[in-house]
Amino acid sequence: MDREIFVKLWLATAAISLFPLCSIASSNSQELLQSNIDIHNKASLRRGARLYMNHCAACHSAKFMRYERLSKDLEIPPEIVMSDLVRFGATRLSDAIPAAIDPKVGEKAFGIAPPDLTLEAKYRGTDWVYSYLLGFYKDSNAPTGYNNHLMANVAMPWVLASLQEATSEAEFKDQMRDLTNFMAYMSEPIRPFRENFGKYVLGFLMVLLVSVRLLKNEYWRSLNE
Amino acid sequence: MSLREAASNLVGWVDYRLPIVKTWKTHMSEYYAPKNFNFWYFFGVLALVVFANQVLSGIWLTMFYVPTAEEAFKSIEYIMRDVSSGWAIRYMHEVGASFFFIVIYLHIFRGLLYGSYQRPRELIWIFGMFIYCLMMVEGFLGYVLPYGNMSYWGAKVILNLVGAIPIIGEGLQIWVQGDFVVGSATLGRFFALHVALVPLILIVGIFLHIVALHQVGSNNPEGIDIKAHVDADGNPLDGIPFHPYYTISDLTPVVIFLILFFACVFYFPGGGGYFIEPPNYLPADKLSTPEHIAPVWYFTPFYAMLRSVTIDSFGLDAKVWGLIIVSGAMLVLFFLPWLDRSAVLSMRYKGWPSKIMLMLFAVSFVFLGVLGAKPADWAPAWVAPALTTIYFAYFLAMPVYTKLEKTKPVPGRIGAKSG
Amino acid sequence: MSKSGGDGTNSGRRMFLSGTTSTLFAMGAMGLATPYVQSWNPSTRARAAGAPIEIDLSKIPEGSLHVEEWRGKPIYIVKRTKTMLESLEKAADKLRDPDSEDEQQPHYAKNKNRSRIPAILVVEGICTHLGCTPKYRAGQADDEFWGFFCPCHGSRFDLAGRVYKGVPAPTNLKVPPHYYADEGTLIVGNEERETT
Repeated sequence: MDREIFVKLWLATAAISLFPLCSIASSNSQELLQSNIDIHNKASLRRGARLYMNHCAACHSAKFMRYERLSKDLEIPPEIVMSDLVRFGATRLSDAIPAAIDPKVGEKAFGIAPPDLTLEAKYRGTDWVYSYLLGFYKDSNAPTGYNNHLMANVAMPWVLASLQEATSEAEFKDQMRDLTNFMAYMSEPIRPFRENFGKYVLGFLMVLLVSVRLLKNEYWRSLNE
Repeated sequence: MSLREAASNLVGWVDYRLPIVKTWKTHMSEYYAPKNFNFWYFFGVLALVVFANQVLSGIWLTMFYVPTAEEAFKSIEYIMRDVSSGWAIRYMHEVGASFFFIVIYLHIFRGLLYGSYQRPRELIWIFGMFIYCLMMVEGFLGYVLPYGNMSYWGAKVILNLVGAIPIIGEGLQIWVQGDFVVGSATLGRFFALHVALVPLILIVGIFLHIVALHQVGSNNPEGIDIKAHVDADGNPLDGIPFHPYYTISDLTPVVIFLILFFACVFYFPGGGGYFIEPPNYLPADKLSTPEHIAPVWYFTPFYAMLRSVTIDSFGLDAKVWGLIIVSGAMLVLFFLPWLDRSAVLSMRYKGWPSKIMLMLFAVSFVFLGVLGAKPADWAPAWVAPALTTIYFAYFLAMPVYTKLEKTKPVPGRIGAKSG
Repeated sequence: MSKSGGDGTNSGRRMFLSGTTSTLFAMGAMGLATPYVQSWNPSTRARAAGAPIEIDLSKIPEGSLHVEEWRGKPIYIVKRTKTMLESLEKAADKLRDPDSEDEQQPHYAKNKNRSRIPAILVVEGICTHLGCTPKYRAGQADDEFWGFFCPCHGSRFDLAGRVYKGVPAPTNLKVPPHYYADEGTLIVGNEERETT
């Protein structure tokens, strides 16, 4: 009887302790759109890579991301990477993605230097990146003519405005999802592999678990009799 | 000469010169452990497993990491991207750090639950607390090394805390930093301490912890002294040899632990922003503090206590009082064996006051941890001081409630009916 | 693991489970060791730094030595003149391995000039004795020795990198993998154009 109360007591302790932990997990101060990216979708990542190189890379470097890696991971032939994506002073497949403009020039033009974007998706989160990309709106008071819902008085000119106007809303959202997906990939290129590989490691450990459990029962059988 | 004979000859040769057989018997095959270990007794061996993981992955990381302000952040990305399988080693180290603390917190709770700190295990507890404090130092040093923005500002806040020590503080802070700002000088010494000095002391601490444990024998959930009833050979009737019984049964929790650990390594390496805080994906920026600065989760209970003092009193700054409170919270742990005046060890036989106080203590510690991870204005201002008070009440009122409460009689043998 | 089991336990089963568990643990340990072993391989950065190099031959004057660096090694390139090529024939009987029998060159350089294009010499500038960098000696037509002279221990090589008899160096200078992307462009570090 006492034993039972005791067990209940510490279960209650655990439950009470876990309650605030749940509140940690669900906390989210800003209302963000769901990016719903699929890091394993290579077609989407390839489209995202093109969007990134065409619209972002002029100002933003990605100094930890090598073209070589991109070519291998996203299955883009090196010749196509060389001809279509390697630019802005990069010459070799093993180079990292540079920005076209000098950060100091960028700082003069926009007030702040355009940040390197390699790890942006890890820093901000993919939902934030997606919401930011869809958050631009016309604002005649802003110096660039555009403002952003997520970042008031945003320094970045809305470089995708013409693309946004030329495509339907749904199509544009898909494109921004591809771009977000690519940025998520770029922030951790190993992620698709590790998520695939993890299954084998965990599967192996499950087999090991059965084995050690049976061994334990075998050894302890004589003790328990 | 058969292979077996050769092997036994070799063992004999070595054993004549080095007591390997005796050591094996004393600590494994003839070390009698109580037969009734439960779930709570897994965490000691798990701590050893994580420690081994930290040492191995840590040594490998030192091969690629560069401890300078210019290169530290880049070298982490180098490990994550360019070093073959470097990502796996780095994630094992980083997830391992958090798992180390999870395991240790549960291990400590076990000690509180079953009175493992009480006579005759006071030294084991003191060595354990010593290890825990060193782990916090080790964790802090390690968190600074990637030199992300949270590393930088975390280091700055803690070093400013050193600066808050009256009179010597400011000079001490500069001396520890090695520069007027946190920079290459700081990283260099933190790196050396993190990879060499602190781990060496930790190994000695762990060694002493285990030797002291094996000297007096393990406690158990009943808190019964198994050495009180021995068989004709002098072996405890309620004990079983550690090897093979516990070595083999411990494999199950070890594998379950590895499953959880690798699930995190492969699917949850950032720990939802608690193992790696997102601002640490920005390189250290001296001009811009992260919007919400919080230490990594295993420090948050103490961080909440630190922040809980907001009023200057008795001629000292609130900052100094915060420092005193946190130091006190760590220091009081070492005195626990002498604060508990109970005649019994296990919570199973202690009275209601002890049970309730332990529960309040555990809950307050977790809540403090949550508060510390949240912005300062997340909860009403009275919450943190109230929880801090509970934390201290558990210890400081212990001599009273453990002395006065009515305990239940402890049976002489494990498995016997009480009374 | 344990061989004990005489206390009425099913020792066959025990042996089997011990064996299985030990094998699985050994496999796991090997799996765990894999990233640690792999991490010692040259990293992407090292491989990028050691990538094939491109040399514009049009900028190299005939007859003089041009040095490039590939994977930390000096690569000697000489556009040999007609006289130089003729000197190769004259030296033949003083050489240890005139026909390049030793595997010191890719198959396409195993010919009398030790080169892919007859006139152009591409060798690693590392003495096969103890690794010093041989000096280039090719000047006046009446010089008795044309080729590479190692200052450390006096080893001599001709203008195809072939070692002389009676010197400490045991073998000819090594020819690195190389190819010509087009007439004027030499690529050192690869046998041929990579196709993926």
